[in-house]
This record gives sequence, C-alpha cells and structure tokens, in this order.
Amino acid sequence: MSGAFTKSMARNIFYGGTIFFFLLFLALSFDTHSQLPKRDMRANITPQIAEGKKLWEVNNCIGCHTLMGEGAYFAPELGNVVVRYGDEGVKAFIQSRPKEGIPGRRSMPQFNFTDEQLNAIVAFLKHVNSINDANWPPNSQG
Amino acid sequence: MPEPILIPSAEAPPARRLPGDLAIWFFILAEMLAFAVFFSAYAFARASHVEEFNLYQQTLDRNLGALNTFLLITGSWFVVLAVQAAHQDKGPAIARNILLGWLCGGGFLVVKVIEYSAKFGAGISMSTNTFYMFYISLTFFHFMHVILGMVILTVLWVQARKGVYGSHDAHGLESGAAYWHMVDLLWIVLFPLVYVMR
Amino acid sequence: MQFKSQAVAKPYFIAAIGLFVGQILFGLILGLQYVLGDFLFPAIPFNVARMVHTNLLIVWLLFGFMGGAYYMIPEESETELFSPKLALILFWTFLIAGALTIVGYLAVPYATLAELTGNNILETMGREFLEQPLPTKLGIVVVALGFLFNITMTVLKGKKTSISIVLLLGLWGLAVFFLFSFYNPVNVVLDKFFWWWTVHLWVEGVWELILGSFLAFVLIKTTGVDREVIEKWLYVIVTLTLITGIIGTGHHYFWIGTPEYWQWWGSIFSALEPIPFFAMTVFAFNMVNRRRREHPNKAAVLWALGTGVMAFLGAGVWGFLHTLAPVNYYTHGTQITAAHGHMAFYGAYAMVNLMMISYAMPILRGRAANSNKSQVLEMWSFWLMTVAIVFITLFLTAAGILQVWLQRVSDAPLPFMVAQDKIALFYWMREWAGAAFLIGLIIYIASFFVGGDEKEAA
Repeated sequence: MSGAFTKSMARNIFYGGTIFFFLLFLALSFDTHSQLPKRDMRANITPQIAEGKKLWEVNNCIGCHTLMGEGAYFAPELGNVVVRYGDEGVKAFIQSRPKEGIPGRRSMPQFNFTDEQLNAIVAFLKHVNSINDANWPPNSQG
Repeated sequence: MPEPILIPSAEAPPARRLPGDLAIWFFILAEMLAFAVFFSAYAFARASHVEEFNLYQQTLDRNLGALNTFLLITGSWFVVLAVQAAHQDKGPAIARNILLGWLCGGGFLVVKVIEYSAKFGAGISMSTNTFYMFYISLTFFHFMHVILGMVILTVLWVQARKGVYGSHDAHGLESGAAYWHMVDLLWIVLFPLVYVMR
Repeated sequence: MQFKSQAVAKPYFIAAIGLFVGQILFGLILGLQYVLGDFLFPAIPFNVARMVHTNLLIVWLLFGFMGGAYYMIPEESETELFSPKLALILFWTFLIAGALTIVGYLAVPYATLAELTGNNILETMGREFLEQPLPTKLGIVVVALGFLFNITMTVLKGKKTSISIVLLLGLWGLAVFFLFSFYNPVNVVLDKFFWWWTVHLWVEGVWELILGSFLAFVLIKTTGVDREVIEKWLYVIVTLTLITGIIGTGHHYFWIGTPEYWQWWGSIFSALEPIPFFAMTVFAFNMVNRRRREHPNKAAVLWALGTGVMAFLGAGVWGFLHTLAPVNYYTHGTQITAAHGHMAFYGAYAMVNLMMISYAMPILRGRAANSNKSQVLEMWSFWLMTVAIVFITLFLTAAGILQVWLQRVSDAPLPFMVAQDKIALFYWMREWAGAAFLIGLIIYIASFFVGGDEKEAA
C-alpha cells in the first residue's frame, strides 16, 4: 500500500465534513422545532409559569437539584416533584425549611417566598411535569 | 478495502496501490462506520417491531428505489470511466464522464424528492413511528451524502476541465471517485435493507 | 523564548493555576457537604459552592487557553503578537471581573445578586454553568472579542500554519457558541435545547479543536517529528471529533421534551465519539515513539501522553458507558454523570492546559526545561492528581450504580435522600481521593519553586 496522504486533502475533508455534519445537525434541529409545540406544552405557558421559571432561576435551584435530569445531583429531581408530594406538599416543604438548616443533614435554604411566589413555583413545576419527555424519569422517585 | 474499484488489467499497477488519498479513506471508513452502526440500530429496532416494520415497508415505493439503485450504479460506472480516462490521458473523456456521473446523482435526487414529497404530503414525519423514523433518517442521511458527493464531483469536473488530471496525477480524482463509490455502496446496502428485506 | 511578546502568557498561566487551586478547594467543600450536609450552612450553601467550583473551572481553563494561545501563536506565526498591551489589559479585566463575580456569589444571596446586576433587563442567570451575572457575561464577550482580535491579527500578519488555523477555529467557535448563553426563552424545552449549544458544542466540539491544536504544537516542539506529519494527523483527528460530536449533541436530547428520534441519532453518533479520543491517544504515543530528539522537558511529554489517555478514558470510555439511550434512561442525572464529568474535564482540558504550562513556563522563565529535581516533583504531582481523579471517578461510578439501582431499578424504589444515605461510604472515599488530589496540586505548585542545577537557557 503506497497511497499518498496529503495535508491539503486532510484539510479539505475537515472543512467539508464539518460543514456537512453541521448542516445535518441544523436540519434535525429544524425538524425538532416543528415537532416541539406538540411536546413542550408551550400553549399552556401563563405569566404565572413564567414567573415561576424566573424564581427557579434567580434562586439557583439547579445548583442542587436536577430538572428533567439536568443540574446538580445533591438534591432530588424536581421535574416530577408535584407527583411525589402534590402541590400543597411542595409548598409546605419549601416554607418549612429551618433558617439554620437541619443539623448533620443536607439542608435547603429558607427563601421566605410569599404565597404568590410559591404558587408560581408550583405552577412552573407542574408545567415541567406536563412536558412529554419520553416517560422520564423511570419512576416517581425521580 | 471494501470497495471493488475496477481497474482494467492492462492498467493494473504492479504493486497494490491504494487509489486516492489516505485521508479520504479515513473519512470513508468513519462514514461507513456511522452507517454500519445506523444499519445495526435498524436491525435491532426491527427485531422488536417486526410487524410494524413489515407493514409500513409496504408503503414504500420500491420501483422508485430500484430506479435510484440503477442511477447510482450507472453514476459509479461513469466515474470509473473518468478515472480510466485519466490513466489513459484521454483529456476530454474525463470531464465528460464526471458530468455524466453527476447527472446520475442529480437524477437520484429528483427521484428521491418525488418520493419524499409523496411521503411528507401524506403527513409522515420522523415522529410518526419507529419504521418511518429509520426510513427518513437513513435515506435523508444518505441523501445528504449524495449531495456532498455531487459537490465533490463538481470540483473534480472543474479541475478536469482545467486539465489537472492525467496519468501523471489522478490523485484528487481517485479520492473523489472513491467517495462517490462509497455513496453508491451505502445505497446498495440501504435499499434492500429498508425497502425490500422482510 | 523566540518572541518577546510571548511573555504575556505568563500572567495568564499563573492566574490559571491560582484559580485551579480555588476550584479544588471548593470541590473539597462540596465533597464534604455530600456527607456532612450542614457543613458551612447557611453561610455557603451547596449551590453557591458548586457554582464557584464549576465557574472557577471554566474561567481557569479559559485563562489557560488564552495563555496558551498567546504563547503559541507568535511562535507559529513567526511574528510578535499584534498587541501585547491589549493582552495585558484584557488579562486584568478578565481577572478582576472573574474575582468580582466569585465575590458576588459568596457575599450576597444569588437572588440579590441577580437583582443588583440587571438580570431583570435580560434574564440569563440561574442556568447550570451559565450562572454568571449579565455584566460578567458581557465582559466575557468583550474579553473574548479583544483576545480574538489580537490573536487573529497576529496570524494574519504572520505565517498561517494549520495548527494556528485549527486553534483560531476553536477559539472563534468558543466565542460564537457562548452567545447562546444570552438566549433564555420562557419555554423550558427551548431553553434547554439551546443551552446545550453552548455547553455541548463547547466541550465536545470547539474546545477539542483547541485541545488538538495545543497537543500538536507541544508534540512538534518536544518530539521533533515533521510538522507536515503532525498537522495532517491533527486534521484527521479534529474531523473525526466534529463529525461525531456535532450530532452527538443528540445524547442530551433524550429526556428534555425533544422528539424520540434523538434517542437513535444521539446514541448512534455518541457511540462513535470515543473514536477521535482513541485516535488522539494513538497519535500522541506514535509521535513520541517516532521522536527525533530527546527534549529535556520530560514532564511536558508526560502531560501530553497523559492527556491523550485520560481524555480517552474520561470522555471516551466513561462517556460511552452511559450514552446509549436505554442505559441513559436509568443513569441520566445521577452520580454516573458526575463521574464522567470529573474525569473528562480533568483528562481533556485540565491536563492539556497543564501540558502547555509545563512546556511553556520554563521557557518563559528563561530555560529550556526545569531542573531534574523540579521535573521529578512535577511528575509526582502528575501521578498523584491523575490517580486521585481515577479514584474519584471510580468511587462516584460505584455510588452512581448503587444510586441507580436503589432509586430507579429495584422493585421498591427508595426516595432520593434515603438512597443517598446508603451510599455515603463512597462519598467519603471520594472526599479522601479529593484530598489526595489537593496534595498533588500542592506538589505541582511546589515544583515551580524548586531550583537545582539549571539547564541551558532556551
């Protein structure tokens, strides 16, 4: 085997292959975007849910929890927490966190949310739970 | 090498020589590996959805598929002729055969678009069911390879018209030809697998 | 040092190592919080410590990339840096902005920080790894653009080698894909979809171009193998990286509301993702075996080989372990992911930066290589940190397998916290391995201060 191996050919293949696969990725993403409205329940997003998402973000919940499996692995999955505890259970849990934590245990901070804010957070979590995410997680424990 | 490249016996070089550039063979190998994994995934998915796969396979247009097989094999043949012409320094025949190969590729795309428009028109998408997911994914992935192959043929054609290729140098031409044959070969596996095999 | 302006790399490298120390200290705090839940609570809650840990990682890697580029590009382009002054201004800008951000994380509650820094104008905060306040994000863009301008102008006025071109593509890609961090729609599925365009297309896309380019540069310098040979292999490797890695993004689109076909596309292409890492390992070993001279800097060669092997193990093997959709259904969002993340980041990006620093720092300090004594110490630190990360990964993997079993697979799935308590032993062992890593890092820093008989000046 005495085939040549040139840098210019390797370079051309690099550019060609990269552009090719990036275009393929764009095509798949384009198809995804046409399918998403049927799956992400965007029609149901209310200002309250948007407020809930904002509270989720500005309190950095993802720094301990996962949401649909993404985030930190220090505290439970919350994409389905409304299934585990129910709306009132979630609110009661958040409200009852002791300010100084629980001795020796992983502790969630006390955020001093108002009732309105708690409702928004629960609305957001319920919305996430309603998204068609291919039946993940495997069971209600998350 | 998996690719039977037809080199006429009079032309056969004394030592086994890899036609084209080693770099293109790495790329071809990687691409074939991706397709091989994709085909295996198809077989794996089919094993658990035999009924569904058999049922929806009936809805595919085998005649158009066969026509496309013919077009790609013919296209490969023209490209072989182009490489031969280069080795024999028959200048004008190089560009002409590349162009004919390109037209075969173009014919493939037209037929495929007709086939797709019927399917998409019927509201079929990648999310319809597992069979259609594979049908669209595999054929579209291959479709894009045909387009890439045609881009490569265009470059070869331009170069051939400039008189770059001949017995002194057929390096780039052979590399592009090898890629085009891969596109053909993949379809020859894909067509029976998705359209015919039950 | 061939060009005077390469010296600007030095402060970047020093800052990178300093921030690396910070990252590891916060890592140890996190590890301890895993087992002693109320450690430092409520002063530094877990989420804050984690944010500091991951953000310091990103920032020190960026400092390393920038320092490496400032060192490498003049030598590759065979010309002085376009503007060393700009490089120094940007250094201080980035360092101060980074430090203020970390202080902000630690000093005030995150919600207050968001309020103070204009998150209401454009909501971008509170998403994993992209927690930086708006001014910091904008600062990153400004620094990145200034840096890219400086580097690109240098390449344009000098020689354009393949290594510089690949590096430039990687760095420009880094800047372009960071822009997706400013897009945060209310629709959480879209949010997550494009979040990965920054995160995945960074670490499994454009950053690998930077990695490949640094590795190729150091291999040329230390082995004396023909540039032509190394550059064409570089092209082959980065081609393999991108043709598998771009569609490989699909392995993040299994369970976030995106269509099911990503389970196939993502599985198939990410199953191929180990190949470029394997090729990189073979490449590094091959070039070192074919070396035409014995470079006095043995430590840099060790890092080069190490990054090949560890990137393959961490990103390739540990990535493949849980990338197929049917497996990932059970392992998604568990300690398995953490195990993979730790080894992949260390193996690919921490080690390649340490390789660059190891090669460049002695030259920046006026010698071809450090004294034998110093190199021996550096190699000890290599082994200590590398073995420590292997054990961290193994313990987290064990914890992850048990977690998956207890919480997701068994007939009576346990609640998250109950399962966590049962695997605490592995978290303790991980913490000890983490302490060993810190010792390795201290030895690494000590190696800079060990003199001994100096080799001839470069």
